[in-house]
Amino acid sequence: MLLQALGKIAQTLVVLFFVSVASFGLLKLAPGDPIQIMLGSEYSQESYDSLKTELGLDQPFLVQYADWAVRFVQGDWGTSYVARAEIFTYAFKEALPVTLTLASFSLAFAILIGVPLGVLSAVKKDTIFDAGSAVLALTGTAFPSFLLGILLIWFFAVKLQLFPVMGYVSPWENFWLGIYHMILPGLTLSTYFIAMITRLTRATLIEVMEQPYITAARARGEPSWRVVWVHGVRNIAMPLVTILGLQLGVLLQGTVLTETVFNLPGIGQMLTSAVLGREYLVVQAGVMMTAALFIGVNLLVDLSYPFLDPRLRARK
Amino acid sequence: MTKIDHKKALADRLSARFGRRAVLKGLGAGIVTAATGSVPSLARAQQSGHIKIASIKVIDTLDPHFTGFLSSIQIINNIHNGLLKIAYDGENVTFEPDLAETWDLEDDKTHVFKLRDGVKFHDGTPCDAEAVKFSLLRVKEGKPKSPHAWKLALLDRIEVVNPLTVRLIFSQPYAFLPVALNGSTGRAGTIVSPAAVQKYGTDYGRNPVGTGPFKFVSWKENDSIELEANPDYFEPGLPKLERATFVLMNEASTALAALMSGQIDGMTDCPMQLVNQIEAFPNATLYGEIEGNYTFVGMNCKRSPFDDINLRRAVAWALDRDTIVKQAYFGRAQLAYTPISPPMTDFFDPNIATSGRGQWYDLDKAKAFRAKAANQGEIEAVYMMAERGPVGTRIAQTVAPMLAKIGIKAKLELVEPATWVKRRNGSDFDFYDFEWVADLDPDETLYPEFKSDGAWNFGGWVNTDFDDLCAQAQVELDPAARRALYYKAEDLLMDEAGIAVMAHMPIYKVFSNKVKGFKYIPADLVNLHSVSLD
Repeated sequence: MLLQALGKIAQTLVVLFFVSVASFGLLKLAPGDPIQIMLGSEYSQESYDSLKTELGLDQPFLVQYADWAVRFVQGDWGTSYVARAEIFTYAFKEALPVTLTLASFSLAFAILIGVPLGVLSAVKKDTIFDAGSAVLALTGTAFPSFLLGILLIWFFAVKLQLFPVMGYVSPWENFWLGIYHMILPGLTLSTYFIAMITRLTRATLIEVMEQPYITAARARGEPSWRVVWVHGVRNIAMPLVTILGLQLGVLLQGTVLTETVFNLPGIGQMLTSAVLGREYLVVQAGVMMTAALFIGVNLLVDLSYPFLDPRLRARK
Repeated sequence: MTKIDHKKALADRLSARFGRRAVLKGLGAGIVTAATGSVPSLARAQQSGHIKIASIKVIDTLDPHFTGFLSSIQIINNIHNGLLKIAYDGENVTFEPDLAETWDLEDDKTHVFKLRDGVKFHDGTPCDAEAVKFSLLRVKEGKPKSPHAWKLALLDRIEVVNPLTVRLIFSQPYAFLPVALNGSTGRAGTIVSPAAVQKYGTDYGRNPVGTGPFKFVSWKENDSIELEANPDYFEPGLPKLERATFVLMNEASTALAALMSGQIDGMTDCPMQLVNQIEAFPNATLYGEIEGNYTFVGMNCKRSPFDDINLRRAVAWALDRDTIVKQAYFGRAQLAYTPISPPMTDFFDPNIATSGRGQWYDLDKAKAFRAKAANQGEIEAVYMMAERGPVGTRIAQTVAPMLAKIGIKAKLELVEPATWVKRRNGSDFDFYDFEWVADLDPDETLYPEFKSDGAWNFGGWVNTDFDDLCAQAQVELDPAARRALYYKAEDLLMDEAGIAVMAHMPIYKVFSNKVKGFKYIPADLVNLHSVSLD
């Protein structure tokens, strides 16, 4: 078990290395350069050259990469070129918690709404309720989240004034205010996942409900809620967790638009403005964090199987 | 404060050819009496209220000597003061003393600034003649080099006469000085705390320390910039607010929603497509007039096909400016005949439309020039556009069918903004459209953009007569004579169609009706000095 985990971690490091080289290279290949952007329209060649040297951007690619990598692993993530922001603080301490909060909220919404909806659809298979939830799920997957976000803002925040339009309050500092600010963005980001989880839960549960152990449970005379929620739902946990781990990428992608619409200072907004401003070091930090997050979560998913399914536990 | 037009006063005095001492006495006396008292601590203001304003564009740095963006200046101006400041009475833009109590000329090359007594930076160090010298030298010859160094290129030396008097000696008469000190994005005349610059070095832009009505508190990326009142501010009774937050936003429609729901109190910029909605919303007030700017379609004069003067002229006369204003600028801009814009009251001709000067829409004339062009076949030209600027790609889309009428097929290429900048600066385009904004003086409007080796002359139009006229105008202190020189220069540019000029734009800000006392200045400023909240 421990050996397995160590192996996975070594794999992770190799993947992160390749990710870092690829994103560093791709960004340099993109046309445009940060100095031209930071100097705006009014500058001379002299100030351009002087800044380029100052920022180390006149060095060859490999030197720049090596310099970055050595510092990065030591926790020195550098400062952004233009705004001189301490990147470790900006990316890790400020942006990452916002995105993690948003992502956790969306996942929580997705599970809390999606699983019961899916279970009900499975139990009431081929009824009006099932058809209705299928329509909802299809709409949820098809509806672009930024449009939904804007609609939610106009209706709930501007017309009814029930929720704030935008902004982030850390739930660690002010729990209820933090949650209050996360409801609309969390809902916006989670629609796709609610729909997906509903459909997935429905399909797998229908399959599970045809298994012999369910028949056995029914034969033992267990009440039907127990058959569904204990014997049934427990057995859909594994496919659910697997899919959620794999779909994390989609979730992180979704944060870009959601964070922009709701003005949340998370990784999505950070990456967008950094790419547009050619802030190589900020993009690099964002990519590394997202990659690590993605790999980390999937590692956790792998490691969670033995807990979800006793048959996978190593026998002593 | 009494309004005095220093440029005019100086020009009048100088053109009267007074002797050196006479200028000093006469001019000095006039300005001294006009200046306000400088006893700040007597009338200490009671501050209250916390304003939240959405800032929708990018903030690059809060270092006044290094920023390239007006959105940054909007914030910087609340933290810092300059030697002079820009004032507006609803009709005329003038330059008033700010940190300077008086501003005299000993001769036409020597400017003497006497500073207010007792002004301190937010870090407690005094704002004296040494600090002024330090700031000006930082712009002129600091390392790394300030992008605004050119504005003080003619500054020969700085003498500290006494702790409150500083003398600037220029190598030639410099009519552009007040604009150079205050103009465009580079606040060359903004005074920063030398102690803070020494302490923070290149990170000064994240830890700005000025003398202004607000102190810098914090800057969280993509989130907010917080300022708090400076209770020791030198203008009596100001500021009125206790706190100000600039909420950094990417999405203007979210900012509008937040304004309507009362979550924020204003926007530093209101994109033209949202102006109708703001006007229909009763609880907010829109501020905005035609500012010192002009928009144009630029052509690459360095290569075929637009190295052909007749083809450029054809383009210049083929653009239907009325349609462009309606379609691309939501009907809110004003037709431009030449680059010099309405707020430059000494230079703009209010009757320009009937004066016969400049460019306008005349398809027959366009076709006549097209018939003289070397290439009579259909011409395909790359029109580079990006989702940038006030109206994005709308201009390119509106202009393309007009070009088709004179047999030019514009190939619209949509590129991402950073690529656009790179290609523009490398003159890698046939057509592009752009706007030069927040100009206060024709020198800014014309010279760096179109002089033969100008850093911003991306289209590469070359005319040495134009260069000479602008260079003469730079040292000419009489407004009428200067105006005549600039008109001649503009006429050359318009006739040879270095660009096809389109429009002068209004620049909008919006505040909720709770916000009182905002003084609009047509230089894209958001000065919160006198602002209060109900």
